[in-house]
Amino acid sequence: MADNLKKTVVDPLSENNPITIQILGICSALAVTVKMDTAVVMALALTTVVAGSNVAISMLRRFIPGRIRMIVEVAVISTLVIVADQVLKAYLYDISRQLSVFVGLIITNCIVMGRAEAYALQNPPGLSFLDGLGNGLGYSLILILVASMREILGAGTWLGWRVLPQGYVGNGMALLAPGAFFALGLIIWIQRMMTKKFETE
Amino acid sequence: MRKGDSYTLVFAAIVCVACSLTLSVTSALLREKQEEQSELDRRLNIMKAFGVPIRDDSGRKLSVREVNRIFDEHIRDVVLDAATGLVIPDLRANDLSHADIASRARLPLYEWTEGGEPVKFAFPVSGKGLWSTIYGYMALDRDLNTILGVTFYRHGETPGLGGEISTDWFQAQFRGKKILDDGMLQPFEVLKGKVADRYPAGNEHAVDGISGATLTGKGINQFLNRDLQLYEKYFAQIRDN
Repeated sequence: MADNLKKTVVDPLSENNPITIQILGICSALAVTVKMDTAVVMALALTTVVAGSNVAISMLRRFIPGRIRMIVEVAVISTLVIVADQVLKAYLYDISRQLSVFVGLIITNCIVMGRAEAYALQNPPGLSFLDGLGNGLGYSLILILVASMREILGAGTWLGWRVLPQGYVGNGMALLAPGAFFALGLIIWIQRMMTKKFETE
Repeated sequence: MRKGDSYTLVFAAIVCVACSLTLSVTSALLREKQEEQSELDRRLNIMKAFGVPIRDDSGRKLSVREVNRIFDEHIRDVVLDAATGLVIPDLRANDLSHADIASRARLPLYEWTEGGEPVKFAFPVSGKGLWSTIYGYMALDRDLNTILGVTFYRHGETPGLGGEISTDWFQAQFRGKKILDDGMLQPFEVLKGKVADRYPAGNEHAVDGISGATLTGKGINQFLNRDLQLYEKYFAQIRDN
């Protein structure tokens, strides 16, 4: 059982990572990873929302009428997202403005809806919470990796601290959208080399 | 029973009520804090337009108390009547309603004072870009001709294209440019392309545009010049004195 619990949390970090294996939630993963601080806040917001929505949906799972199941899921998720957005506006005004629409777009993030449908509807709240936490952390891990690569190459800083020498000329491409594609592509490539998991015909 | 229509309706109603309650409570609890943050942001942007450093020597952002201290010490606001270009006594910028600001019948003006005397002036500029309304401030130096700074702090333009208007490189270009030519207000222009290409000899009334954001630039030209014209009535009187 303990193994099972651990697997629920650890699996989405690599083996079943929502971004690099399932290729979900790409839009925000590319958009908010120019700098570490936005990526970290976005990762926190998503992890909170996916864990919270999994718990809520799981508690309701025996009562939700099948016909309106998805609408109920969306209602619960959007409520949580708006709460997260409001909290950011009140306490992290600057970052919330940089994240602009992307916090709101967590509502349509496939990971959140996907976990509710695929996991929380069939499993008890405790396990669903761990599943949400694991998937949120899997998403966070990739966001932080991509953002680290982009901020270091693009600006020579990491979380605002200078890590490359003062004379370093930032690589503008790392900051633009294509930089995110390259970084993510490299991460997926390295991961598949290491786990030897390939999609075969 | 569980599969019945009435069960579904009741369930949906309960979910709706629960969700709206959660949202109302959150919004009520956080409103004050959010307003405080947005007021602080407004103050920071006015200071930025005036060219006041908003970071201390070690690169950290000024504390809320520090910002409020500088603001209260140096910045004074008055309200102008757009029709006459005169100061309306006893009215403060925060007294203006959204309708006042949108119709531009009454214009808020921020003065940077030194020893009680106003020496620099900042005013809000806003208008349509490509997708959204852009909000910003513009500040003029004591000659009421040289631009001290411009900030665009709220907009919904495309990130990476029109959204670049909120970056330092774009805003820094305005610094030192002039609004007058031979004593007359001269239309200010965000170009399509670069100043160096269009005006090889340089131009005091134009800045480089952003590639891929021509329409955002056009929008800025329109509202910047309209707002400059509104305030010019008042500025002309001060220059004459």
